[in-house]
Amino acid sequence: MTTATQFEHQQTKILANREPKSGALLLLESIAAQGVDTIFGYPGGAIMPVYDVLPKVGSLRHILCRHEQGCGMAAIGYARATGKTGTAFATSGPGATNLVTAIADAYLDSVPVVFVTGQVTSDLMGTDAFQEVDIFGITLPIVKHSYIARDPADIPGMVAEAYFIAAEGRPGPVLIDLPKDVANALTTERHKWRPYPKVKPEMGQSDYISKAEDLIKDSKKPLFYIGGGIAQGDGVKELRDLVNRTQIPVVSTLKGLGSLPTDHPQFLGMLGMHGLKAANYAVQECDLLIVAGARFDDRATGKLDTFAPNAKVIHMDIDIAEINKLRKTDVFLDGSLKKNLEALNPGEAKCEDWRRLCFSRREEYEWDYKSPIGNMKTGGVYAPKLLHDLSRRVEGSAIITCDVGQHQMWVAQHCYFDNPKDHITSGGLGTMGFGLPAGLGAKLGAPNRTVITVSGDGSIMMNIQELATLFRYDIPLKIVLLDNSALGMVRQWQEVFFEKNYSEVNLDDNPDFAMVAKAFQIEAFTITKGDEVDDGIERLLSATGPILMHVKIDTYENVWPLVPPGRSNADMMER
Amino acid sequence: MVELQRNKTFEPSGVQGKLKIVLHDVSGTLIRALGTIERRGYDYRDVHCTQRVDGDFDLLVHIEDTGGPSNLDTLCKQLERLYNVVSAEKVGRRKHAERA
Ligand SMILES: Cc1ncc(C[n+]2csc(CCOP(=O)(O)OP(=O)(O)O)c2C)c(N)n1
Ligand SMILES: [Mg+2]
Repeated sequence: MTTATQFEHQQTKILANREPKSGALLLLESIAAQGVDTIFGYPGGAIMPVYDVLPKVGSLRHILCRHEQGCGMAAIGYARATGKTGTAFATSGPGATNLVTAIADAYLDSVPVVFVTGQVTSDLMGTDAFQEVDIFGITLPIVKHSYIARDPADIPGMVAEAYFIAAEGRPGPVLIDLPKDVANALTTERHKWRPYPKVKPEMGQSDYISKAEDLIKDSKKPLFYIGGGIAQGDGVKELRDLVNRTQIPVVSTLKGLGSLPTDHPQFLGMLGMHGLKAANYAVQECDLLIVAGARFDDRATGKLDTFAPNAKVIHMDIDIAEINKLRKTDVFLDGSLKKNLEALNPGEAKCEDWRRLCFSRREEYEWDYKSPIGNMKTGGVYAPKLLHDLSRRVEGSAIITCDVGQHQMWVAQHCYFDNPKDHITSGGLGTMGFGLPAGLGAKLGAPNRTVITVSGDGSIMMNIQELATLFRYDIPLKIVLLDNSALGMVRQWQEVFFEKNYSEVNLDDNPDFAMVAKAFQIEAFTITKGDEVDDGIERLLSATGPILMHVKIDTYENVWPLVPPGRSNADMMER
Repeated sequence: MVELQRNKTFEPSGVQGKLKIVLHDVSGTLIRALGTIERRGYDYRDVHCTQRVDGDFDLLVHIEDTGGPSNLDTLCKQLERLYNVVSAEKVGRRKHAERA
């Protein structure tokens, strides 16, 4: 992220260069000056001036996805895999509205992405012109900040600030709406932009460290509840050190997975709706919850007033708006999570009995991958086992992106992670269609890593067109398509909560996905039996180009355990 | 009967309050602040906005909660998180009366 000095330096450089340039060129040069190397975009009328000068800015690689939503999600995948800010372009009107889901996804998962949309010319704005929508207004609730560029001379400062805001503090999406005439206009002016933006919230070491340490020392049943903030706040190492120092058990949200290696001795697993029993029971019984970079999301907490009912709460988050938002906090540590984790030093927690209880439960409820389960008994493919085997084969070396549904929960439950940035899942928005574009963005950002996308037969159809992007740029993404001929997660809910009243969840007329992939010139094959899994994984992993493994699985397999919505995490349902 | 889920977490219903918000003069400044108040579960009873000599805005809003988890401190922090918001604070009744 840009520091105050770098920001000043950029401003000075901007003001010094008075060559006549168009708004479009200023935009691209300013983006390149931020160190951006890859833009995911899709052209159209209002943004044509930008595409016209794109070839002039040699350091920018443009990836043409096949749908603006694909562009946006690829930029998110890129940002999450690299830790850098992503960039996506679209034209006005339908191009801009196609970006909206990606913007919301970035907002809810706190991903730094700068979105640039073309806009109709200034004199037409507000007249319901062709392809005019008020994208600034539409996206107000789902951006961290946004701009309408009114003057080309503002653009360099605006772009620098946009990238600063996207990455600073709790990251998020920033939108720049660029009217066509502003993009076309030549200017020798450069406006001095506002000063270095105020860092929000004010960073700073809290005085409450010692209060937190006292609570930990007094606790008999302490528990860490960690979330996506660990990865975003670059606190993985500090968390691991703290856990090793204190020996306190840990549960994680979906987005915190990998902050501790899955097999770490203190790790009890994911909590919440599809959490592991050992994790949910620990939360229910703990007397102190040490929350780090998590936000009491309802998927994690279940019925809020039954969540950790006997616990005091220490809450560490960079976003002070999270303090007391959903749960009263006893001690709040604001500012840098990394620094707070480092500063906290209560010594080894004295809670032997508690630890023993937690870890005996972890053993008791551990998955048994050896004995046949589900449709393995009849020779079929059991998806959790396949994911477990696949993930053990690539242990720690692969990035996994996924879509949304049962397969997403199986990835969270059965794959091994030892870096939270390797698990790229749409947590906050739960966006079907995320996996494939996020996977291609991640692979472009991290070309030396193996990147695997786990998708479902419903989800993949939402951005299937991005197979064309894989082919065009020869992006060696590995896709595992778990095909249960159903909108499985919805079907499971209808089975469990709506008395098997199956309504609009049947997808048994799916296309032949291997044939679809081949039509996009992507290598593909189908497996249907348990004894084909090993060879399938081998073929998937040894492919040098993009590849899709289509796996037929049982329609009626469910994700267990399951906490019914609105109920306490203690009320987990089982197979 | 299935009831509406109006989950009062820790403050009683009918939370009312007056907020003073200082805003930068940038695109969308008012809508962003007012929209945040509404989306976070409050209705306006009174909105008063004046531009100051330095170009910023003083926004006084009298609000009432709509049955969500109301917490005006959290709301102020959510407002302060916005980039065009300089500050947001509760204006106490007594203080207000004193000033009047
Ligand atoms: C864009 C979008 N539309 C609808 C939903 C609701 N939804 C959640 S999971 C799901 C089913 C997903 O089906 P599939 O991709 O086949 O995954 P499965 O559950 O079968 O593994 C649906 C429809 C959603 N999350 N996102
Ligand atoms: Mg499915």
